[in-house]
Amino acid sequence: MLSYILTLLPSILEGLVMTLKVFFVTLVLSIPLGVIVSIFRLSRFKPLSKITELYIWVMRGSPLMLQIVFIFFGLPIVGIAFDRFTAVIIAFVLNYAAYFGEIFRGGIESIDRGQYEAAKVLGLSPYRTFMRIILPQVIKIVLPSISNEVITLVKDTSLVYIVGLGELLRAGKIASIRDVSLVPLVLVTVAYLLLTAIFTVAFNKIEKRYSYYE
Amino acid sequence: MKGKKIFILFALLVLSIFSLVGCAKKAVSGGESKTVIMGLDDTFAPMGFRDENGELVGFDIDLAREVFGRNGYEVQFQPIDWSMKETELNSGNIDLIWNGYSITEERKEKVAFTDPYLENRQIIITLADSDISSKSDLAGKKVAVQNGSSTLDAIYKEPEIVESFDGGEPVLFDTNHEAFMDLEAGRVDAVVSDEVLARYYIQQKNPEDYRILDEDFGSEEYGIGLRKEDKELLEMINSTLNEMREDGSFDEIYEKWFGDNDK
Repeated sequence: MLSYILTLLPSILEGLVMTLKVFFVTLVLSIPLGVIVSIFRLSRFKPLSKITELYIWVMRGSPLMLQIVFIFFGLPIVGIAFDRFTAVIIAFVLNYAAYFGEIFRGGIESIDRGQYEAAKVLGLSPYRTFMRIILPQVIKIVLPSISNEVITLVKDTSLVYIVGLGELLRAGKIASIRDVSLVPLVLVTVAYLLLTAIFTVAFNKIEKRYSYYE
Repeated sequence: MKGKKIFILFALLVLSIFSLVGCAKKAVSGGESKTVIMGLDDTFAPMGFRDENGELVGFDIDLAREVFGRNGYEVQFQPIDWSMKETELNSGNIDLIWNGYSITEERKEKVAFTDPYLENRQIIITLADSDISSKSDLAGKKVAVQNGSSTLDAIYKEPEIVESFDGGEPVLFDTNHEAFMDLEAGRVDAVVSDEVLARYYIQQKNPEDYRILDEDFGSEEYGIGLRKEDKELLEMINSTLNEMREDGSFDEIYEKWFGDNDK
């Protein structure tokens, strides 16, 4: 049994690498984009705010799997062709930025108006006010929601199978069908659990760091 | 300290953007003339799947390597999702579908098929101790089939038998693998499946536990699917496959993958 699991490990690890690649690239790009989305959404310039609202509705309101299909298979019809990995990343980043955008918006709106006024009285520019006063507080507020999304993202990475990229779950499925056994799928489940455990611990640490009022 | 963190974040951002640009470039420079990209579902044992080392192996893989090797082509194998195969082909991501691809009338409208290279029956499998011995015995029984498969089309060619199933329709599963697991769990009484897939599955498990009925739901043929405009490539594959049948190398590959079977 143990030796069988050992034979499975190389292909499972290969799948894990793809899963982690999609995960980290998405995360690193979508969080900053999420901040921008939230600022656009809160903009007093109505058309910008409305367009952002539409974007958020489309991204959150339709299945991510179909968004990947449209970006990879649909866009080439109008002459825009991405390779598999790029298409997947674009879909994931656009989708997750919408969710992160709404999380950040909630965070920003929960900050008391009086703080902006106080900052103005102290002579801080709007940019400095946002970066130095508002954003640090927002990060503290939104951390639990962000960690929620991050864990969802770990599991969503399995959707890349639709464009034929071999990630963790696909690696498990291949082995499971080849060997007619459920063991590879158990192994894959353990891998997902380990990943989410690592991120849960990491976020708990970060949250503790930010809990400077308690 | 703070500045350092922002710098690292920024560096990561730039790095990932660069890696994306790198990927995009690769997609453009695919203009090599003597390469074909073959699309396959890498979960489809024994036609095309991955061994323990992650290498693609299988009957179709060996056949394709031989055919293109003889003509001086290089084959690239591209795993695809099976539900997207025709879209992948027609958008030019792959040049051919070669992976236990059954020839059907509906598919003929979208893709050009080579001559059939393998026959595949739609067989009925039960557990060894089952009292089912013919198609008519399936009346009132639960029968599992893979959703979206050519097996499903095949059983509906005999609608009166399908109507006699428990519930008036088959139980649908995403893969044959799941259909077989349900058979073993005793929740369905029979599975109808591609012979190629079923024999591989039974071989991996204990062959004594299963019974294959003499009756079947007809047979179908596997072909290779190409874009309709790629006529030269189609001719080339057809003539090389004929050549391989004559010089015995086709049988050699057949033996290697299906040798243990009685058919």
